[in-house]
Formats: sequence, C-alpha cells, structure tokens
Amino acid sequence: MTAYRLSSGGLVDRSKVLSFTFDGRPLRGFAGDTLASALLANDQLLVGRSFKYHRPRGIVSAGPSEPNALVTLGSGARSDPNTKATVAELYAGLTAKSQNRWPSLGFDVGAVNGLLSPFLGAGFYYKTFMWPKQLWEKLYEPVIRRAAGLGRAVLERDPESYEKSWAFCDLLIVGGGPAGLMAALIAGRAGLRVILADEDFRLGGSLLSETETVDGSPASAFAERVVAELQSLDNVTLLSRTTVFGWYDDNVFGAVERVQKHVADPSAKLPTERVWRIAAKRALLATGAEERPLVFGGNDRPGVMMAGAVSTYAERYGVSAGKSVAIFTSGSSGYRTARGLSAKGVTISAIVDSRADASDAAPDGVRVIRSGAVVDTKGRQRLSGIVVERSGFEELIGCDALGMSGGWSPVIHLACQRGARPVWSEELKAFSAPNVGNGLRIVGSANGVYTLSGCLRDGVEKATAIATELGFNAAAAPVPVTETETETEGEPSFAALWYVPGARSKAFVDFQNDVHARDLGLALREGFGHVEHAKRYTTSGMATDQGKLSNINAVGILAGMRGVSPAEVGTTTFRPFYTPVSFGALAGTSRDGHATPTRKSPLHEWARKNGATFVDSGLWFRSAWFPRAGEKTWRESVDREVLNVRANVGLCDVSTLGKIEVFGADAAEFLNRLYCNPMLKLPVGKARYGLMLREDGFVFDDGTVSRFAEDHFFVTTTTAMAGAVMSHMDYCAQVLWPDLKVRFCSVSDQWAQMAIAGPKARDVLQQLIDEDISEAVFPFLAARSMVLRGGINARLFRISFSGELAFELAVPAGYGEAVAEQIMEAGRAHDICAYGVEALNVLRLEKGLLTHAEFDGRVTPDDAGLGRMFSAQKHDFIGKHLSARYGLTAADRMQLVGLKPVDKDKDMRAGAHLLKEGMKPSTLNDQGWVSSAGYSPVLGQHIALAFLKSGRERYGEKIVVWDKLRDHEVVAEVCDPVFVDPENKKLKA
Amino acid sequence: MVRDYNNRHALDQKLRGAPKPAHADHLEVGHWQAIATVLAHVGLDAAVERALSSTPDLSLRYCGPGEWLVVSGVDTPVGLMRRLDMLCGTQAHVVDHSDGRVLMRLSGPSARQILAKGIGVDLHPAAFVLCGSTNVLCGHIAINLARTGEDVFELIVSRSFAESLFEDLMTMGRPFDLSAAFSE
Amino acid sequence: MASLITCPHCGVRPKEEFAIRGDASLVRPAPSASDEAWHDYVYVRANPRGRTVEHWHHVAGCRRFLVVERDTVTHEVYSVVDGAAAAREAQR
Ligand SMILES: [Zn+2]
Repeated sequence: MTAYRLSSGGLVDRSKVLSFTFDGRPLRGFAGDTLASALLANDQLLVGRSFKYHRPRGIVSAGPSEPNALVTLGSGARSDPNTKATVAELYAGLTAKSQNRWPSLGFDVGAVNGLLSPFLGAGFYYKTFMWPKQLWEKLYEPVIRRAAGLGRAVLERDPESYEKSWAFCDLLIVGGGPAGLMAALIAGRAGLRVILADEDFRLGGSLLSETETVDGSPASAFAERVVAELQSLDNVTLLSRTTVFGWYDDNVFGAVERVQKHVADPSAKLPTERVWRIAAKRALLATGAEERPLVFGGNDRPGVMMAGAVSTYAERYGVSAGKSVAIFTSGSSGYRTARGLSAKGVTISAIVDSRADASDAAPDGVRVIRSGAVVDTKGRQRLSGIVVERSGFEELIGCDALGMSGGWSPVIHLACQRGARPVWSEELKAFSAPNVGNGLRIVGSANGVYTLSGCLRDGVEKATAIATELGFNAAAAPVPVTETETETEGEPSFAALWYVPGARSKAFVDFQNDVHARDLGLALREGFGHVEHAKRYTTSGMATDQGKLSNINAVGILAGMRGVSPAEVGTTTFRPFYTPVSFGALAGTSRDGHATPTRKSPLHEWARKNGATFVDSGLWFRSAWFPRAGEKTWRESVDREVLNVRANVGLCDVSTLGKIEVFGADAAEFLNRLYCNPMLKLPVGKARYGLMLREDGFVFDDGTVSRFAEDHFFVTTTTAMAGAVMSHMDYCAQVLWPDLKVRFCSVSDQWAQMAIAGPKARDVLQQLIDEDISEAVFPFLAARSMVLRGGINARLFRISFSGELAFELAVPAGYGEAVAEQIMEAGRAHDICAYGVEALNVLRLEKGLLTHAEFDGRVTPDDAGLGRMFSAQKHDFIGKHLSARYGLTAADRMQLVGLKPVDKDKDMRAGAHLLKEGMKPSTLNDQGWVSSAGYSPVLGQHIALAFLKSGRERYGEKIVVWDKLRDHEVVAEVCDPVFVDPENKKLKA
Repeated sequence: MVRDYNNRHALDQKLRGAPKPAHADHLEVGHWQAIATVLAHVGLDAAVERALSSTPDLSLRYCGPGEWLVVSGVDTPVGLMRRLDMLCGTQAHVVDHSDGRVLMRLSGPSARQILAKGIGVDLHPAAFVLCGSTNVLCGHIAINLARTGEDVFELIVSRSFAESLFEDLMTMGRPFDLSAAFSE
Repeated sequence: MASLITCPHCGVRPKEEFAIRGDASLVRPAPSASDEAWHDYVYVRANPRGRTVEHWHHVAGCRRFLVVERDTVTHEVYSVVDGAAAAREAQR
C-alpha cells in the first residue's frame, strides 16, 4: 500500500534535499532523483488519468518509454506539458501538475467515460461520430477535445531560447550504458573523435541500477571511473541529457540536448535546449533493451510497474515501489528483481511465473507460482492485491506493488529510420535491428546481448573494429570482469507471452491511448488486421510514447489471433523523432528577426536621418516614403514626393537593384543570348534596357545593360530577381555554353546607387562633377565611369524609371551616405526631396513602366507592349523558340492597357478582375486583371495598369473593374498605359 | 563644390563608441580593408593563383574555381586594384569589393564552437587547415571563411548582410561572453 | 535526399548550401529543333525511381552547377562532378 524511500542505498545524494510540488502539494526529494523516483518516495502512486477512459494511472517505467506519468512542468509561459516524470531530473523549486483530470486527480468527472466504454471501443472516432458532418465542428470535436486530452499547449510567447550546432566526429555512440561506455573508452583511447550521447542526466545506463560488480567494484563506481577517464580525453565529447532522435542520410544524426531543462532559474546566456546535427563517420547504437509489459486484466492499476523499473527505483534511487511486492514474469528477469528487492529487505509476496518449469532461483522463502497468471488486480486508485489463476483455481494475493516482466525487446528505432525493416528473431523472441551497414552498428543489449559481461565485450570489440577501419591503432584492451553473473544469471530467458488469457477486467496493451486487448480483436474482425491498419483503427502506438512499451505486444496479439508468426505481422514504420522534440528546439535561433537575415542598403542611415518610413521588401528594408511635418497620411507624403519630382527633383535609393559585372571576350555574345533584345552592338559608353525571358517564352526579368569596354559590361536586375538572375547566368555560362569566354560576379553590395530624377536633376548633379553632363555630351542612355569632385570613383547612367530627366549615380557603398547628403545639399536651392519606393511606384505607373507586378510569369514581351524588343533576327536566345508557339502569339491574349475610372473619385485595386459591362462574373467572362493601381497626383485621379483581352484594340471602351475580395466595383475607361508625357519630351530634355 | 567624403562602415551603427575590452573570445571588425575579387580568364586559373600567392602582403581567399577574394591590409582600395592589375591584369578580371564586403575576425578558445552553430563544415584543424579558406553558409548567410590561426577565423560577408551576420555571431557567442570592436 | 554533398571544389557540405535545379540529363535543343523537342526539353520530366542525375547549384559555396548522380530510393550519392566539365564532355 506504500511506496517509500529505503533507509540507505541508491545514487541519490541524501544530504541534498530538494523541495518541489506536485499538484500544489509540497514534497521533498534528493539530488539525483527523477521526478518519478521522488514521487514514489513520497508514495504518490497516482500520477495521471488515462486519455480516453480517465482511469487512474501510476508510474510504469523508469525511463523514456513511460506512457502514464506525463505531467506539466513549470507554470505560465514556461510550462512544459507532457513531460515524462520518469526522465525529468528533480531540482529545487520544480512544480509539476498532473494532466487530463478535472476537477482533481483523485476525483475526475471524466471517469464516467469508463462507463461509456462499450461505445468508445476501437474505431469509435470513425463510427460514432461519422454523421451528420456538421456536428463534428460543433459538438463531437469540442467534447472529445475536452474529455480526451493530454497536457495543454501554452499560448504565451515562449521565453526560452534555443540554438543549433553542427558536430563532426569519427564515432558517435548513442547510449552510455555498459556497451556504450566501453566503446567510447576504447575509441577515445585510440584517438578517434568520439561523441557519446545519452538521454539520462547521469552516464552509466543499466550500470547505475546493476547489482553486479565490475572489475571488483560496484557497477556504478565502474561507470564513474570510465566517465572520469573519458572526460580527461580532449577527443571525446560527452553529451548527457541528450537524446539522439533521428538518423538521416549520410550518417547525419539529430540530437536534442536539454541544456537547462533541469534548472529553476535558467541562465540568459545559455539556451534551454540545443539541437545537434552530428555528422559521424561511424556510429554505434548502444540503446539497450526495453522490458515488455504483460497484458493481463487490470494491468493498468497504479502500483503495477515494469519489474526492471522496480529494480531501478530500488537500486539507483533507493526507493521501494511497495512494502509487499509481487512479481509476474514470463522469464528470469522477474526473479532478478525479486532477489534485488529481497536483499534490500523488501517483502516479496509471490513470484507468479507463466512458465511451467524454470530453474531460476527465487529468494529464500519466497513463494513461486509456476504456470500461473494474474487475471485481475484489486484496489481503487492503488493496488491492494492480485487475482492469480492456476490450473483453473483462483487465489487473491495481497500486495501493494506488482513488477511485471514479459521479456525484452532491443531498442532499435534509429536503425530503422531510413527504411530498413526490423527483423524478427525467433531466438530472441523479438524484433532485432536489420543490417544497415558499417555506418551504424548495433551493440550491447540493443544487439540482443543480454548479459553485462557480454555487453562490455561487445562494446570493446565493435569499437576496436571501427578504430581499425578508420586507420587508428586500438590497443588490445581486456574486457572488464563481472563477478557472479555467469553462475546465477546467464542469458535471461523468457517465454513470449503476448496476452494472458482469462482476464477479468480490461487488459491494456497501450496504456497511454487506452487500447486494450479486445480492441485489437475488434480491429481484426472488422478487417483492420494489417499492423498499419490496426494501429490507426485502434490508435495503439499512436500516443506521445509512440508505443515504446505496447507495440510489440500489439504485434504479438495480432499474430496470435491471425495464427501467424510476429514476423509475418511485421512492425509499423519507424520514423524520427524517437521521442518528442519541442518546436522551439527545432527552430533554434531562427525566430523573430532572425527567421531570415535582413539586408540593409548602404543608404539606410541616410534614409533614417531623413525620416524614412521603411518597408520590408524581400530581405531588404527599403525606404517607402519620407513624411514631413504636418503630413497626416502616407498618401500626402507620396503625392508631395511625386509632384516634386515632376516639378523639381528628387533623390531615391535604388541600391537594392541587382548589379553584375560581366567580363570576357564573349561577354557580348553571352548577354546577347540571355536577353531577347540585341546586345552585341551596344556601343561602349551606352546603356540599354534589357528584357530576359524564360525558356518557355515568358518574361523573366528586366533591367539595364551598360557597356564600359568591349569586354566589360555592367548589368542591373530588379531587386526581387537579383538572386534568381545570378543563378540563371551561372547555369547558362556553366551548363548551356561552357565554351564561352565569359566571367561575371555580383557587385550588388559594392555600389550605393541613387536615382536623381526631375527637370532639375542635371543642375543638381553637375555641382558634384567636373565633367560636362549636358544633354549634348551625356545624352539619354549614356553610361560612364567618372570621378566626383573630391576624388570619389563613380559611375553615372542617364536612365530613368520616372519619365523625367534622370540619372542614376553609383558610388562605392561606404561613400553612399556622404554623397547622398552632398546631393541633398546641392539640391536645396532646387527644392530637392528624398523619395521612397511608393513614389517611385507612382512615377513609373504614370509612365506605364513595368515591374514584377506586371511580369508575373504569365506575360510575354508582346503582352506587355514590348514586342518591338523581341529580336526575331537573332539566331538564338533564351526563350526564342517557344515564344513562337500558337498560345503565346494568339490575338486574344491579355495585353497591357491603362485604366481610368469613369467617376474620377473612384479608386481601383490591384488584383481586381475585368468584366464587360452587364456580364456576370465567371471564369468564362473574365476579360483580364488589374496588375498595378494607385493615385496619380499629376492626373488627380486613380489610375491602373491592367491586362485585358486584345486590350490594345479596345482603348475608349468602358469596362467593369470587379473586386469581389474587397467587395468593390468600378466602371473604368480603357486607355493607353502611358498616362503622362507620352511623347517622352521630359525624358530627353 | 569640393569636399571630403566620409566612408561609413557597414557596422558603424553597431560598433561606434568607446571600444569595449576584448574578452578571450573576441570579434574584431576590420575598419578599413582593401578587398578585391579576382576572376581568372578561362583556362588561366593556375597562372593567376601563382601570381597572387607569390605576393607577401596579399591574402588569397578561395571562392570557387578561378575566383578569389584578395585581402590587403596595406593597400588602399585603389592601390590594391592597381597592384592586382599589374600582377595579373592580363590573365584575370579584377573587381573592387572593398566597400561591398566586410571582414570580421573571430578569435579565441571557443571560436570553433561558436562557428559550429552556424557552419556545417568540420572546423577541426585536421579538416579545415591553417590558411584554408572557402565560401560557406553561416546560418542563413553566405560568407567566405578562412582560418588564419589555430583559433582565429576570418569571415568576409556582403555588406548588406553584415549587420545580420554580426547579430547572429553575437548570439552564437553569448555563452562565451563574446566581445566585439573595430580593430585599432 | 542526401544530408551531405561532397562538392568537388568545396568538400563535404550540408544540403542547405545547395539549390536543386532538376534533371541534368537534358540537352538544350538547337534553335532549329522541332517544337516537340523544345516542348520535351522545357516541360517533360521523368520521375525516376532509382538512379538519377540532377543539377545541384552550390549557391552558398563555389556557385558552380554540379551534376549529382544519386538514387531516389536509397538516397545514395554515386558521384558529384562539375557541371561545366560534364557539359563539355557531353558536347564532345
Ligand atoms: Zn562548391
């Protein structure tokens, strides 16, 4: 009836008392405890309610396979739901709350679900709640969500920090038990770069709960010695509290290290968790074996535990699971637990052995019931007795804890995560790891070696083999000697017992998802006998523990019912993650402002000083507009900037454009093949607008090409496509035309580039430059290097994206700010203003100039009104051939037009569709779409660019601009897309 | 109108002010450095590499086949361009990148551990040797990485990404009290 | 998909440094080739089970297009060679 702390023993530090709370109740444990061992020491057997039936549940295991003891640790934003108490390291001030109960753990209203259990059988989701559909959202789902659930996710912002790191090693060892430690020692001594990862906070694995001695000292002391030596080796990295959760291609492993999960006040300098990506030349899987539960009536009552867990609590934590402990076993392991407890003075009420004859030694005076079976358990929220059946007779045996042992299964998840299936071993009565090659070897009990001496030897041998393989010299090392094992133990043997017949109450297979043996029978009868079907139909193995304890029994039961071997049933698929990993850990530092990098223009500070409002544009911050005192809306600022550029002059940062230097004897030929318009004969000192197509004939990007020398060009791209164009050029130069003599590199970051636009642009700029830049000497599309007064190397281009007399001036990035300031100073007398990308957009819209709002991947040069640029005379260029196909030359293609609302006060938005007046909105009636829209302060009304079927023939026609998304409809007149200065008088002034 | 123009460093905003004392792990940002990209003419990779590596105060950083960043601590940008033109102007195209790249020097006992948080390359001295250099991804940002000492690495990053990379590095270095300053 | 790719110019690198463009066995048709040839080149792709050759662009490294021969089932990488070298070879 009582679990309690033994008066001595265990690896806990009894001098360090740690206070913690469970459901508000103050409790105490010791340093070295897990939350589970401390709860047991305080006789807190009941730790949770089951998922479906809300049955009272207790601690079952002492490790990561725990299905029941899931608690919420911490509070508020820091709370961590579904934490396994069996692996949570105890610390002072820990607060734990039980889950899935209301109003309290002891009295839970949801337990009525147990009364409804006939209706909650396998597949109940699919059957009961199938119809009517509407009830799903309104009734079923909310009810199910409230009634059946685990911990709650927190909605507050996660205050923890996380990080990721790469690691490279010769040998990764997963698991720090006897095999893993020995392997690390051998490999470490041989000089390999070794990483040893173990999910426990203390290295040693089963050595920490072992009764055996190794090399004459207690196993735990041996482990400590090995760890100390490993710590002294520079080439060995020990990662405790680290779960290797995945095995990926090329022997890369994923692991999560819980750096500060076990501290009450985490340091701000350290992450809470760290995800490791470990690239290992070789790896050893030393993950041990998992003891199997037995499936018998009432096997979920608090107090029923794994026999090995009972041993671990006693040996490692000095906690007895009860005052009078019964054992139910199908093999020798149960006897071992009994011997260990007995040696510590704990009463063993009986050993129930399912086998008829066995030679295992029971402690003196302990009753052994052979060919026996537990068919029911007694007690309410904790165990008070078991009903044992033997030869048709039943007997009630009093006990307050029951250790069950159904044999062992190697823990082989990682080895099966890359597609290889586990292999059924008739000898081991278990699924064992497939041969996955030398990259990952299996060692110790994960390899089916169940004796301590065998595990130590396996570790030595495998590490030696790996060291030799990698060219290291592994000195021959003796295998540590174990003392008593060979006589009394030998290989633990067991008889596979998947299901104990004669159950008087529910016999659970999957504790966490409340799947009992009869559910599997139902699944089979209803045609879901395939292991993958049965899993989904019954949800067996689908809880957060992923069936670590239950899957093997489910397979065994299905096999029994189908009358086949477990080999034929097979297992479900193993996938990462081995245990749940928090999203925070997976995101690492990639959150908030660090989810993507940000890019800043060399004129960023200049813009900031001038009061810019910034806008995210891809990775860039760009200045959107420059509000002045008294301006209440962004439109006021933008209108002013536009009008000032048209009337006077403005300065705009265009540094974000992609810029590429292209060199080589074949540079001209290369560009000629990249652009759809001719580039071969571009004169030195001139710039040209260029249009690139994709191979399918649609516009890819536009920009300018300037020629500085016969074999030296300077190319600009749009901001958005800078990276894509560069990659495209790499592809063309390397893969398509590897014999062209051309080399290029991005200089986007080297140059600060600014547009100086407006009728007074030349007057302003000339003040900075000695050379004559008059229309006669430096006409439209001139492009040259020159030196600014003061000695700054610059490049000047007479190009315009506003229709105004305009220049683009490029200076080395560091000088950008100073030169911009100088231009503003020179322009003060001419009423210069800074303008942002919003004004830039309005200026180009008024002139019918295009951006990627128009070039959306569906537009040909002709659609965009740029058909004259398409050079059919050129022999070949990207996109030429497929441009000629029928679909791209059809007369009724959508063509670029301008739109003006008939009612001058109405506005239009991009994304709206075009309809003939009186026609119903439908795909069939769709006449086109609006690509860009905005208010033109010059015209005093909204204008838009749009693509309209045969649009160029339809100027003057009235068309409906239909925007269902915003519930907006306007009648507009179709017009030429150039709204301002169609004769380009200002451009060439 | 004639004036002296100031050259603003990309990390001016981050690092301006009194220099903080350098900790064991330190990020030093080169205030003024001349950096150029050299692109060998097709087929002349080896000749260009020979010409460049024979020059003592130029440091060569490998980017890819026939492409290097050349770093000089003694030349002005214009001076470096002139020198490179003389060294290999007939065999290679030379592009000034002094303003387009930012050089950061990470040094200290934890330098490798710090970089491992962003870089998926084995930085063990046996794998990434002294004087080795390569283009590599650090977090989300492409950089050029060079080992200039057992525990000294130089990172060259595009100017527009410099602030982002700087912030990332400082975050990566937080457990080790990483300090940062402009070089003297 | 591979976690690590051994770039012939840069060494062993994580896949994040690369951008995969797709089938590397395609050859760009001559300008005068048939519409069908062009259609196949631009639009038609096999989805092979097993061995396949792809162009991987080492975007964050040497910026070379590499030809990666790998297995879509086992994810084994058989070879990685420079794309330009492979293209010249193919033209020969
Ligand atoms: Zn590469």
